[in-house]
Amino acid sequence: MIAFTRDDEVVTARFTTDERALLSSLAHQLIELLGERAAESPADLLYAQLGIGGQSTAPLDPALARLLPDAYRDDAEAASEHRRFTELALVDRKVANARAVIRLLEAYEVRLDDADVQAWLRHLTDLRLVIAARLQIEEDDDVGLGDDALLDLYDWLGYLQGTLVECIE
Amino acid sequence: MSQVLEEVDLSVDALSDHPWVTIVWNDPVNLMTYVSYVFRSYFGHTREEAERLMLLVHNEGRAVVATGGREEMERHVEAMHDFGLWATLAKDGA
Repeated sequence: MIAFTRDDEVVTARFTTDERALLSSLAHQLIELLGERAAESPADLLYAQLGIGGQSTAPLDPALARLLPDAYRDDAEAASEHRRFTELALVDRKVANARAVIRLLEAYEVRLDDADVQAWLRHLTDLRLVIAARLQIEEDDDVGLGDDALLDLYDWLGYLQGTLVECIE
Repeated sequence: MSQVLEEVDLSVDALSDHPWVTIVWNDPVNLMTYVSYVFRSYFGHTREEAERLMLLVHNEGRAVVATGGREEMERHVEAMHDFGLWATLAKDGA
């Protein structure tokens, strides 16, 4: 892999075939996870078209709960109301980011414009949030369940994101 | 002589002593450089202010990153959730 670098306005990276397959698979898995949540929503078609009508309670799965947090911490009623009106749209935006990443991974050299950079930044964050939840990483410098392979993946995605942030500093 | 307005912006919380705040909470996942970048790029903070807020989140577990009306704070919270940061809004002082 050649991690993200910037040359003038273009941000590029090169991944091996295996790395591309891995990143693409992760993006598909995230879409699936978010899709399960959206499918459980009680929205009727009209509400769905307006992007509202999501569920009113936080997801039970800790990974989804971290991707789609409550907007209010100490006001369950307000949190529920806010979630009902905003969650589906948030899911849509996260899915759109994942789809953009999948599309951009089709090329041997990944080339990102400004919008693509934003999709990658957010998507890499979402992946790390899910993996951290699966590893039960709850505090700074926590290694969670100690699953070395998953922890390596988590760190690698963090490294990748770090190089991307450096490109746009 | 005073003039009257026929319409008023109902979102203005003019009489409240306590505006709303957007709070970002520490999490073990997000990179410090990324959090700082989000504060700069989204809120338009200077590098110094963004770093200060990021360190406040990191060291104190939370930081107020914006103050204002409720609807505006809801938009900020949604934007933070887009970035994958853990954010909530609350009435200031609550």
